[in-house]
Amino acid sequence: MIAFEPMGHVAVIRLDRAAKRNAMTPAMLTDLVAMLDRCVSARAIVLSGVGEVFCAGFDLSMCREDNAVLGDMLSWLSHAIRAVRNTPCPVVASAHGAAVAGGCALVAGCDIVVTHAEAKLGYPVLRMGISPAVNGPTLRGAIGDGAARNRMIDTGLIDGREALRIGLAHHLAADAAGCEAFAIDVAQRIAAKPPHAVGFTKHWLNTIDGTTNVTAADNALGVSLALVGSQEQRERLADYWNKQSRKQDTP
Amino acid sequence: MMIEGYEQASPGEDDGAVEIASLTVEGPVARLTLNRPDARNALSLPLINAMSSACDAIGMFPGVAVLVITGAGKSFCAGMDLRAVLDDPEAPGQLLSALGELTLKLRALPVVTLARVNGAAIGGGCGLACVCDIAITHADAKVGFPEVDLGVCPAVVAPWLVRKVGAGRARSVLLSGGLLTGQRGYELGMFDHVVPTLAELDAATEKLVERLATGAPHALAATKGLLAELDGSTDAEVIRRGAALSAKVVAMPETQAMLRKTMK
Repeated sequence: MIAFEPMGHVAVIRLDRAAKRNAMTPAMLTDLVAMLDRCVSARAIVLSGVGEVFCAGFDLSMCREDNAVLGDMLSWLSHAIRAVRNTPCPVVASAHGAAVAGGCALVAGCDIVVTHAEAKLGYPVLRMGISPAVNGPTLRGAIGDGAARNRMIDTGLIDGREALRIGLAHHLAADAAGCEAFAIDVAQRIAAKPPHAVGFTKHWLNTIDGTTNVTAADNALGVSLALVGSQEQRERLADYWNKQSRKQDTP
Repeated sequence: MMIEGYEQASPGEDDGAVEIASLTVEGPVARLTLNRPDARNALSLPLINAMSSACDAIGMFPGVAVLVITGAGKSFCAGMDLRAVLDDPEAPGQLLSALGELTLKLRALPVVTLARVNGAAIGGGCGLACVCDIAITHADAKVGFPEVDLGVCPAVVAPWLVRKVGAGRARSVLLSGGLLTGQRGYELGMFDHVVPTLAELDAATEKLVERLATGAPHALAATKGLLAELDGSTDAEVIRRGAALSAKVVAMPETQAMLRKTMK
């Protein structure tokens, strides 16, 4: 579920589950973490998604049989965000189409984010009794405390232009189709610079903005995990599935 | 007017030090001009020391509410003068450490600091603008942090840029390197005001200075003290660690080779 394409010193990693809008599963996130670990010699990484959408978030249908899968996905998402940060080279996200919930959390952990005006980003998960707390430490680092509070509490989605305004994105491509190529271009420019200077600079930024604070990341994950299996979460998720199946039944 | 007694405030500095950073005070407004136009006001150790002495001197004028920092000639400040110190292995560390201490001293001033970015503000020079409370520039000024392009790590200025524009934008700017326009810098939050052309900078600056000078010095000092506490500006340790890291990267053989090549 993870595709890899080397382009000189740039490694392009794509979530590869286009039929499901690249919805995350524990296996996909495990593979992503392993792939990031393997890219140690890359000078820049592009994190993208196959197809029209970067990532629609967790594949919640997997929790239908076993609610505990939700906990696994949250834990692996936390690992994946940390892996993006701890990778020695910069990671550039191509947030095309949509980067929602877990997908937005992954994007917010990247060093540089490219999106486009019509993209949809945000955290609608409170509706389902799930907390986006797991991405709190990196999101507040990325966009500041005030904006992070608003984004994590307001379940609405924002477009790419608003993402640029609040600092969640750093560049706007002309359209969804040009987003990944834009991200690759940004990555290639970085890859042409002296890797030791880039690497030390990323590591120093991690130190001063608290990314390497394992306790904060663990606490944030703990808040999200604590809700898993609660009555509210099970009821909300059941409501969500009911609505989904009614949608599918409607001709 | 030039301040009499300024030389007393900076014992040990030679006469040249007074000239490379000139401080004037008129009522509530102090002005500090980086005065090495032939070197695009690059930060040498004497210039940093002179600026540091000027910061000390401001304490002798209790009525001052605003300090305007600007560059003589076309540039604001072209950054660290690494060219001059390449052959002395100890010198880059001293220079970076002196810059770090200067940024801490500037930030701790009880008066409003305003960077009037009249032209190129590059690397440490752009960092200097970010340390100031408020920065104004014009749309075409060449600004930014090309450190990674030169094989250098902008570790001293990084904490200040993070406090100015937030950690996310700082990450994007510092890892991407290169130069930006003053307009783009304004959009990113590196500058608080931008005018379309250099010709309009003076009028806009003076209007701003006039407004800032209406702040009561004690209330300003108290407000600045709280802001420093909230945003971690009082953390000298992180700046000192940054200076040490920057010096370590400058000393690496790959950086030395790149600097010698680009500075020929």
